[in-house]
Amino acid sequence: MTNIDHKKVVSFSNVSKSYRRPGLFKSLEIPALRGLSLDLERGEIAGLLGLNGAGKTTIMKLMTGLLFPDAGSISIFGLSPSDVNTKKRIGFLPELPYFYPYSTAAEALLYYAGLSGLKGAEARSRVDAIIEKVGLKPHAAKKAAEFSKGMMQRLGVAQAIVHDPELLILDEPVSGLDPLAIHEIRNLISDFNGSNRTVFLSSHSISELEKVSDRVFILVQGRLAKTVARAEWENVKGGLEEIFVNAVKTPVTGDSYPA
Amino acid sequence: MKNFFTAWNIARHSLVENYKNRFFALFVIFAGVLIYASLLAGVMAMDEEARVITDLGLALMELTALAYALLAAASTITREIETKTIYLIFSRPVPRPAYLAGKAAGLYASLALMLGVMALIQLSLISFRGFALPPFYLKAVFFIWCKLLIIISAVLFISLFSTSTVSTITISGILWTLGHFTSEAKFLINKSSGSASLLLKACAYFIPNFQLFNARDLGASGPAPAGPGFLAAYLLLWVSAPYLFSLVLFRKKEF
Repeated sequence: MTNIDHKKVVSFSNVSKSYRRPGLFKSLEIPALRGLSLDLERGEIAGLLGLNGAGKTTIMKLMTGLLFPDAGSISIFGLSPSDVNTKKRIGFLPELPYFYPYSTAAEALLYYAGLSGLKGAEARSRVDAIIEKVGLKPHAAKKAAEFSKGMMQRLGVAQAIVHDPELLILDEPVSGLDPLAIHEIRNLISDFNGSNRTVFLSSHSISELEKVSDRVFILVQGRLAKTVARAEWENVKGGLEEIFVNAVKTPVTGDSYPA
Repeated sequence: MKNFFTAWNIARHSLVENYKNRFFALFVIFAGVLIYASLLAGVMAMDEEARVITDLGLALMELTALAYALLAAASTITREIETKTIYLIFSRPVPRPAYLAGKAAGLYASLALMLGVMALIQLSLISFRGFALPPFYLKAVFFIWCKLLIIISAVLFISLFSTSTVSTITISGILWTLGHFTSEAKFLINKSSGSASLLLKACAYFIPNFQLFNARDLGASGPAPAGPGFLAAYLLLWVSAPYLFSLVLFRKKEF
């Protein structure tokens, strides 16, 4: 489907992460990821599938340096996720992105382009091109406060790709969007991936991941339950949904899943 | 140099966001109304009208700017965390020291702008009443800004460990008040003895002396309590120390 060159872009090795909830006498540890290992290859579109609380957003935050792992190691382009040289090459769309209400779409993108290292005329021309690409040109002078959810999501995708990253991380990019907006976001992802760049996206929508992904990681209770390649779900009756339901219903044994 | 451009970018954006916020305009309008109302007090002061208008106006400017500074500084980072706009910043090559410096600089610039507008309103009224510009006026406005720089730096630091915006504003308000009574506090410390004295002395190191920047008091009478070199060093210390402490708290903060 896409041009994958099997060079590792992201590598998680035995990564664990817990959240601490402060209690009266001692804090409560809530495990989010347990000994997770996975790799992403250059040029692929990899999907992340899991129930609520499975750890999908935690993985994405660890990749973008917003969280730090408790154990294990993460390498992106051979560097730490916190390294500024790594972050230059990453674009991130969080779930339900929010923008400064007094900024217009163009101002917001110019700000984020500047933070990503683009300057002056280069930043402005890049912002103009991206606004056009995501279909926000008629709304470029509107304030973010006046944006609909679909427009906000397009702006979110625009800020993630404004600096032309090599790795795009999308957390629930089509959540709550209408079918037309979903179609447009899907096209944007495919366009982006067309130039041998990597996309990693999470979604609750199995059919959405089936349409765009080369591989899907199924996450259950913070553990990687199964990695499924496109050929695998295309050859199974019931497709990816059947594989996902089976994976989620398989009882967890100790610290790992049965092979 | 790249860090400087990043901090500059954040500062500029923070300034624009602040002055576009309706609270900024509301505070300036409120201060304008209060300054205008101070004309009434001036009329009642008979032959001291110019001095009363100036002093009262400066005090009102300081209090209004302080209220805005506390509110803006206490919420600037927490709001970014709550609205998750911080995700879009720290998923980019933005070093945390540059972010903090940019946020602080944006607030310093916003307060300079606010004080500038308020001063223009007051000077227009002074001129309208036919009085000359008081000789210490610009120095007084500058010193109000210096005090605000210190309190903004402290508020940013407090907001990083405080549990709510209200508690940040409360702690900062107490700090501001205590900072205006440092000579009285020193007198009490000298009168106390034993472990209580040691404890009070240690606490005194964590309270900035805002009296050093009370140019209004110095306008008409009395020598300056410290030279410009000392004041500059004192300001630098009280702006940079909270920044460095903030960095320690912010370095490994997760979002």
